[in-house]
Amino acid sequence: MVGVRVLLVCLLAAAVAAAAAGARPNATPGVTANEIHLGSSVPLSGEAAIAGNVARGAEAYFKYVNARGGVNGRRIKFTYLDDGYDPGRAVNNTIRLVQQEQVFAMFSSLGTNNNLAVRKLLNDNKVPQLFVSSGATTFGRDYKKYPWTIGYIPPYSEEGAIFGRYIVKNIKKPKIAILYQDDDYGRDLVSGLRRGLGAKAKSIVARVGYDPTSSDVQPQVTQLKASKANVLMVFAFGKFSLQAFNAVSRLNWKPQIFVNDVSSASALMSIVPQKAANGAISIVFGKDPASSLWKSDKGIRLFQSILKQHGQDITSRDLKDGYFTAGMATAYTMVNTLKKAGRNPTRQSVMNAATHLNEKGNPFVLPGIVIHTTPKSRFPLTQVRLQRWQDNNWRPFGKLISARPR
Amino acid sequence: MKLKLVLEILGFVALAVLVAVMPSFVSDFHSREFAIVGMYFIALLGLGVLTGYSGQISLGHGAFMAIGGYTTAILSVDGISGHPVRDIWTIPIAGVVAGLAGLLVGVPALRLSGLYLALITFGIAVSFPQLPKKFGGFLGGTSGQILNLVKAPFGLDLTPNDWIYYLTWGIALVLLAVAWWLLRGPTGRALQAIRDSEVAAASSGINLAFYKTLAFGISAFYAGVAGALYAMASAYVNPDTFPIILSIYLVVGLAVGGLGSLAGLIAGAALIYFLQNHADTVARWVNHLPAVDLNPKQPGISSAIFGAVLILVMLLLPTGAGGLLRKVFRPLTTRLYTRS
Repeated sequence: MVGVRVLLVCLLAAAVAAAAAGARPNATPGVTANEIHLGSSVPLSGEAAIAGNVARGAEAYFKYVNARGGVNGRRIKFTYLDDGYDPGRAVNNTIRLVQQEQVFAMFSSLGTNNNLAVRKLLNDNKVPQLFVSSGATTFGRDYKKYPWTIGYIPPYSEEGAIFGRYIVKNIKKPKIAILYQDDDYGRDLVSGLRRGLGAKAKSIVARVGYDPTSSDVQPQVTQLKASKANVLMVFAFGKFSLQAFNAVSRLNWKPQIFVNDVSSASALMSIVPQKAANGAISIVFGKDPASSLWKSDKGIRLFQSILKQHGQDITSRDLKDGYFTAGMATAYTMVNTLKKAGRNPTRQSVMNAATHLNEKGNPFVLPGIVIHTTPKSRFPLTQVRLQRWQDNNWRPFGKLISARPR
Repeated sequence: MKLKLVLEILGFVALAVLVAVMPSFVSDFHSREFAIVGMYFIALLGLGVLTGYSGQISLGHGAFMAIGGYTTAILSVDGISGHPVRDIWTIPIAGVVAGLAGLLVGVPALRLSGLYLALITFGIAVSFPQLPKKFGGFLGGTSGQILNLVKAPFGLDLTPNDWIYYLTWGIALVLLAVAWWLLRGPTGRALQAIRDSEVAAASSGINLAFYKTLAFGISAFYAGVAGALYAMASAYVNPDTFPIILSIYLVVGLAVGGLGSLAGLIAGAALIYFLQNHADTVARWVNHLPAVDLNPKQPGISSAIFGAVLILVMLLLPTGAGGLLRKVFRPLTTRLYTRS
């Protein structure tokens, strides 16, 4: 058969060409004499698109730093790609950034599943996965297996535990209903809550998960209301959290609501029915640009001037968007980490710097918070306060509490 | 006819040589991109057999890719009773599992045709992503399954991307040859007869049930192999890896490639890959036109560009890339043929 012979010849040719394609240059990628290249994958479209503003905030801060001479004479180049909150696209983006764009490190990619999907890939290639925008506990805890990964925000499990301890202390005869996203993010919060409740964990009367690809959580909320609970935990993200508040209001239900930090942005809270939102409790560690509390604060003023000057397509609403501040806070820590990583940073030295942080006075987080890591404690931000939603504003209350896993 | 055969073989050889030398001219990352184009090409070959030749429309081929992808993920990570299977050996298994699923779907296909069949297959594409969520322990739920990174075996000195490239295109060329060989013989004639008129085909003694199910099985096998390769290249599968829209993209790729043409499908595969991943580049090109100012980073811009390009392609090339190829080569073949 001619076909078979042709095929064999082709395969042989393929093998020869393959051998020729061997050697390729292999210097420290992403660092040149005047540039450090960072990459990120975030949702700029889809249901979590609003959270992608984290990357836009970071971008503005890096430009601000660049305008002031950069880090050790190198400017920071920041490339972020849209993944629509889809882990598969996050994998593609990350591979593209590492292999084609040759980034030095991945910085602050967003989403628990999205970061989990690329963690092995990045660690096997020894590419730093820095300050991921997810509080899943595994990113800080499992450093022995994944030494090139580090988280940033307080771990979800500790957030859950803080809510649990608050309920034990302040709510008589709690009957708790939980709405949670059925993945590592939601489950982390639930298990933390149980730990915080301790012996009172019995008071959880209902819990219903929803799938992050589903369209509406109204059925779940209806189901939870039927349990006659007086406390509702909203461990939901983005539009699902919105839908939960809407459903609670529509059902005329009046539980004490706890909403997890990543869905507690003022921008979101102010558009849900206030009769459901009023009195809701959350945690806080970043300064909220929408709150009247920080109106004349130096950090928030700096934030707004940086955004106006260096941000892209910034609207007046963006100036009050907490996701932008969160991005800037992380970028501030990133710049400090790069400064610590030495004149000529390597991937190893930047990892070393990221695990020896002791950063005081980050202007974009609450006063008094110290961003602290050691090689064995990889949770950079572990101090929070509680806050309550009142009159279209979050009002922090109580002292700084530790959210460091023990 | 002889000349056509020679031309086809020459074309195949040219393609094989092109495939073999490509990685020497492009960057490592581009090898990966071309590898993914190759995977779409394999899936489109299968769809070409089914829709292009037997005339049965499937809007559910993403689901068969998913079956292949998940088979590879489970076999290479969890393995059979705790013994992980080496990733390349999972590829044929993935193809067979998907193929069997295809045969199953082929059974109702006997009673339905046209739009109704399309709806059934669409139903499969819609419902399949729910399975991993239902059986989270086994299939990994929405968190998905993380695979091991691909590595060239047998001590071959290849980067992972070059390896997946050669693996994909090696398989693609073999499967192209198989499809071509199958379709130029009695099977191909039977399928085309069914496409043109089922009644006429049946009355000339063609076993409708056999050939229609067979077409589904073969086509799903191809999709399964493509899905297996895709899972290996991504080192990750979850329900979103093979979304509903993927099935639609495949039909789009088939239309762009041209129904009833195998080689044209490469153009279809390239289009669906590059429009999905490089629409921002297209947006930047479009910006060179006067009075156009698109922000490549604006959400939704890629979908808009995708749609616009698609409409343009279908307006300019209603018969797809395959039709264009035929148009270019027809004067040549007929001329030479009549002279000889």
